[in-house]
Amino acid sequence: MNASVVPSVELVHVQRTYESGKADEVRALRGVDLTIAPGEIVSIEGPSGCGKTTLLNLLGLLDPPSVGEVRWDGRSVGSRTDRERARLRLEGVGFIFQRFYLLPALTARENVELPMRALGVPRAERLRRSSDLIDEVGLSGRERAFPHQLSGGEEQRVAVARALANRPGLLLADEPTGELDSTNTDAILTLLGRVQADRKATLLLVTHNPSVARRAHRHLTMQDGQIVADVREA
Amino acid sequence: MRLWGGHGKLRHGRLQAILAVAAMATAVALPVVLISVGGGVSNHELGDLENAGYQVVISAAGLHGIAHAHSLSQRILALPAVTAVSPVLSIAIDTFVGSGGAIPSLAEGIVPDQFAPTLGPTESGLFPHPLPLGDPTDAIHYDNGTYAGPASDDVLISSPFAQAYSLPVGSRLMLSPVANESQATQYTVTGTFGVPLGFLGQTGAFALLLPLSNLQVMTGYANGSGVPVVDAADTVEVAAVGSISTNPTALSALQAEIQALVPYYSVSSLTQEAQQLESASSVLTGFYLALSSVGLTVGLVFLTLILLRRVETDRRSIGIRRAIGVPGRSVVGGVLLEGVTLASLGSLGGIVAGYVIVESLAAWGSGAVQEAASLADFVPLTLLELVLGIVGLSLLAGGLAARSALRLDLAEALR
Repeated sequence: MNASVVPSVELVHVQRTYESGKADEVRALRGVDLTIAPGEIVSIEGPSGCGKTTLLNLLGLLDPPSVGEVRWDGRSVGSRTDRERARLRLEGVGFIFQRFYLLPALTARENVELPMRALGVPRAERLRRSSDLIDEVGLSGRERAFPHQLSGGEEQRVAVARALANRPGLLLADEPTGELDSTNTDAILTLLGRVQADRKATLLLVTHNPSVARRAHRHLTMQDGQIVADVREA
Repeated sequence: MRLWGGHGKLRHGRLQAILAVAAMATAVALPVVLISVGGGVSNHELGDLENAGYQVVISAAGLHGIAHAHSLSQRILALPAVTAVSPVLSIAIDTFVGSGGAIPSLAEGIVPDQFAPTLGPTESGLFPHPLPLGDPTDAIHYDNGTYAGPASDDVLISSPFAQAYSLPVGSRLMLSPVANESQATQYTVTGTFGVPLGFLGQTGAFALLLPLSNLQVMTGYANGSGVPVVDAADTVEVAAVGSISTNPTALSALQAEIQALVPYYSVSSLTQEAQQLESASSVLTGFYLALSSVGLTVGLVFLTLILLRRVETDRRSIGIRRAIGVPGRSVVGGVLLEGVTLASLGSLGGIVAGYVIVESLAAWGSGAVQEAASLADFVPLTLLELVLGIVGLSLLAGGLAARSALRLDLAEALR
């Protein structure tokens, strides 16, 4: 399978409100417009609760917008059915979560194979690609370890390998190094950078960490559900 | 399939699974016991009917409701299609052996030379041939409508009775219609007979066989010499000649012929009796299932709650799968498979538990319970239907849990 390509990702006047109309209503995004070109590395920064993760969830089709549109390659995709959005995620998006979110009952290899299984990749191909990915993230020999047998850095490497399994065009990383030490942080960022460069994928990084943000070509800053700064490096 | 839940949750998940399986097993064990024992008893009774040596039975409403049993039997015996007519009177009496107290016993009054031909092959092997009762036709004591002749005072006793009270052939015992030895008559044991498995308990096992007129006189179901007699019987069993006994049309004609002789009594064929028994058995099976449905409902509700709880416990794992793009049908399939697996394991456990319970009752139960358990019939098809029914219902339980899994808010589940 060739790498999926997401030519562009776009949010148009997007609002996201939780518990709408109730006393505890939360307006997580308040009219966001954003266009991300293919192959860009974008960091998203801002204080806790400013809407970074919500923005990522909308771009990755985990969550539909309350108002506005999410477009991939100019096509509106954010409000499609659950089934259609799941298929688009499976084929086009790789998620790297802050807390790794490996499935604890599966081995490292099985976690990496999970998206390929869902996509119906034949077993032999799954095995070959999962071995390659595990090699690539430096975990050879740890294929059969369960998540509780892995260190934090190793878990995040497995999460990266899983995110890359279906060769997505859009990589979404929510504080990918938030729970790692500096050594592991560098290793993960180097790995992500290499993968992005090799595959020309679009990479969005939500982070509080300046050293992580420095790897990006473009820096978004958010506050109170809005993008308050959008800086491109020369 | 691997249980949901991670390493930290694994023990909790296993405990939930074990509880769900145990609940289902408990719910299934009850119908397994009821259906297997009830079915076994019914089949045994049906087998008795199918193997009986008579084909038509006359009965009357009320206790000992057939009057003029001797003369009625003679009139029926005169029909060309009939080979034997056996009136039977069954009465609970008391037996006195030596200086002991009253022993409750079941006495059957019969006409010896008519009784033997109406026995089926299995029953026939339990009795000595010919029956060692001194008045084979019961015509000496019962003399043309009176009880003028001498009583034979011969009695056959069941082998459990003979063993329990050390009563060899030739020994004497006292029989009385009431628990008062002063009203008892002395009888001589002339033989013993075996007792097939049945449900009459000790009274049934402690059975006696004696000429009909002797029992009638002893118990007051006949009066003295010169006085009009009641000549009572409970049933009159009619054996047809060989060619007719296997021909349903000819048997129906014989049944009609006998009915014409006794329009005030019920005349039925054993085929009808078997149909009635089967019908009653079906009603009982339905009743057993209705009774069991309470337990099964509780088990399925418990299973549903466990599955819902597991969805709640594993909401993050489910959220991760769905975030990656694993299709909803795969998540639904996982939940349904979990429900079906737990229900199947529970059902199989229930069958094993039911089997162990029945075998334990057959080995260590007492009286009629032990005998009923020993006749239990575990029909694979019935058990399979039970399991399939439960598995089918478990899909409903799984469906509810799966619905809950599909309704998870992904962003919330991953928070």
